[in-house]
Amino acid sequence: MEIDESALRGLIEESQDTHADGVRAAREPLADMVDLGRQARAGASTDPDENRAFARGNRSRLAATARRAGGLLAGAGVVAAFADFIGGTAFASSGTDVQVLQTASSIEVLAISTYKTALTLPYIGGSAANPVIKAFATMTMSQHADHLAAFQSATTALGGKKQTKPDPAFVPVVFKAVTAITKATAADGALLVVGLALELENIAAETYVNNMSLLTSANAKKVTASIMGVEAQHVAILNAVQALLKAGAGADITLPPPAAKLPAAAGSVGFPNAFYPVSSAASATQGALA
Amino acid sequence: MSANEPVSHLSEAELRAMTADLDAMHHDLTLPALKTSLAEWADDIRAQAAARRAENDERAERARVNRRRFLAGTGGVAGVALLAACSSSSSSSSSAVASSSAAASGSASASSSAMAGGFGQNLTGDLQVVAMAASLENSGIATYTAGIKAATAGKLGTVPPAIVTFAETAMSQHEDHQKAWNSVLTAGGKQPVTGVDPVVQPVINTAFAKVTTVGGLAALALMVENIAGETYQNGLSVISSAAGIKTAASIEPVEFQHAAILSFVLGKYPVPNAFTGVSLARPPSDYS
Repeated sequence: MEIDESALRGLIEESQDTHADGVRAAREPLADMVDLGRQARAGASTDPDENRAFARGNRSRLAATARRAGGLLAGAGVVAAFADFIGGTAFASSGTDVQVLQTASSIEVLAISTYKTALTLPYIGGSAANPVIKAFATMTMSQHADHLAAFQSATTALGGKKQTKPDPAFVPVVFKAVTAITKATAADGALLVVGLALELENIAAETYVNNMSLLTSANAKKVTASIMGVEAQHVAILNAVQALLKAGAGADITLPPPAAKLPAAAGSVGFPNAFYPVSSAASATQGALA
Repeated sequence: MSANEPVSHLSEAELRAMTADLDAMHHDLTLPALKTSLAEWADDIRAQAAARRAENDERAERARVNRRRFLAGTGGVAGVALLAACSSSSSSSSSAVASSSAAASGSASASSSAMAGGFGQNLTGDLQVVAMAASLENSGIATYTAGIKAATAGKLGTVPPAIVTFAETAMSQHEDHQKAWNSVLTAGGKQPVTGVDPVVQPVINTAFAKVTTVGGLAALALMVENIAGETYQNGLSVISSAAGIKTAASIEPVEFQHAAILSFVLGKYPVPNAFTGVSLARPPSDYS
């Protein structure tokens, strides 16, 4: 059964009701963190020596990343737009939890801007788009905005500075992919967009899985744990969509899909790992701020 | 990133090969890391147990020294009387130990029956979370096993091949999860949990009795997956060992992935929430 866009919007609205429970799961720890953050700021609980040592260790690596990114972006004339976050900012003068949360924010910023850009393409967000893909991109962008707000709140609650810029290590890669997308045909472009989104979602999910054992604040753990499963769900759906597009079965991307028509292997393509890997995880602190 | 790769259309065989490649990558990269986390978690649990024993021994030693000091500080008749009282207290304390031994052996025999399935082991800390998780995995495996059996017997009508693959793969992943959780229990000197969750399973059984279609089975599986995912999400804020957190964190998203695909198949929006909740989470304290 295929459904039209208005029916899909109805389903999304319906899902917003169940969303309330999840929001509570993130909001309660955030409220606790506000209190903890006040205490931390009052008691200066972070270790400045540890943070300075950390900053020294990361500065040279980040400078190299910034140079590489600058080189790629210069060709496209967008260096100025990104210069303030990849240019030599002072680094990491706050606690590990704050740095981890700032990195998470930087990944969310990148994901939001990628979906936003993708939705300007006629075959993703325009009239030529598959309605399920369009709705998914729209809803996913909105969920990443919620994640960004949660990570930023958690950061400030712990006394850190809000990260509002994208992860510098991934910007050149995304830019390169976007350049390829703009030159592609609609069919190829859709597949490239899904591939890019999949990479970013997987980086997000793996980074948060990896971060869980690094965080010390119980509430930062709760917030991250309530988000990582959602990124993994985005990955599962994008895996399935990518497989259908690659199989030339874009018309079968409907809600629900025509299960009887799908090849047997489609049943497991969404979740290839019994244990979520972390091999693509971002360095926990690569998006940290001064 | 693979955004510049040429676009090609996939056949069923190619799709299978892609899945096999991902599976191989999973075995090459993920499983060794998981084994390391499991081994470290077992070490942490043993260290926690040793620390608890040392703390108890220290407390007992302090009590013994205090009592000796108290007795040494008293004299004469009062001392004799107190000594007598203490002897009697000591003998009643010996009786108490005996009783508690009896109680212990009583509870051991009680737990021999309760331990069928790995329950009633007086677990604490991380091991409670692990036991809860293992029992939920058993319930997940039982649900998919019953579903596959019903489908094979033709009780659910025509079952699309993709749905069969989903059920078999999800069940196999739950088996992997169950083995991982139970390996932590056995490494900690405990019995593996082979029984199903005693609270959730009756609900599953009642619902399963009414399942007559693939959609009905998918809805039931969705409930089980969400309970598992939310339980592990909740467990992440309870587990104290960093290696334990790594293990639980590698399993939680997979259950939510199963849930997303099930929602998709059911025609529900597959990622309904920006944040996953814990309202369905089973409390680890149910396993003691």
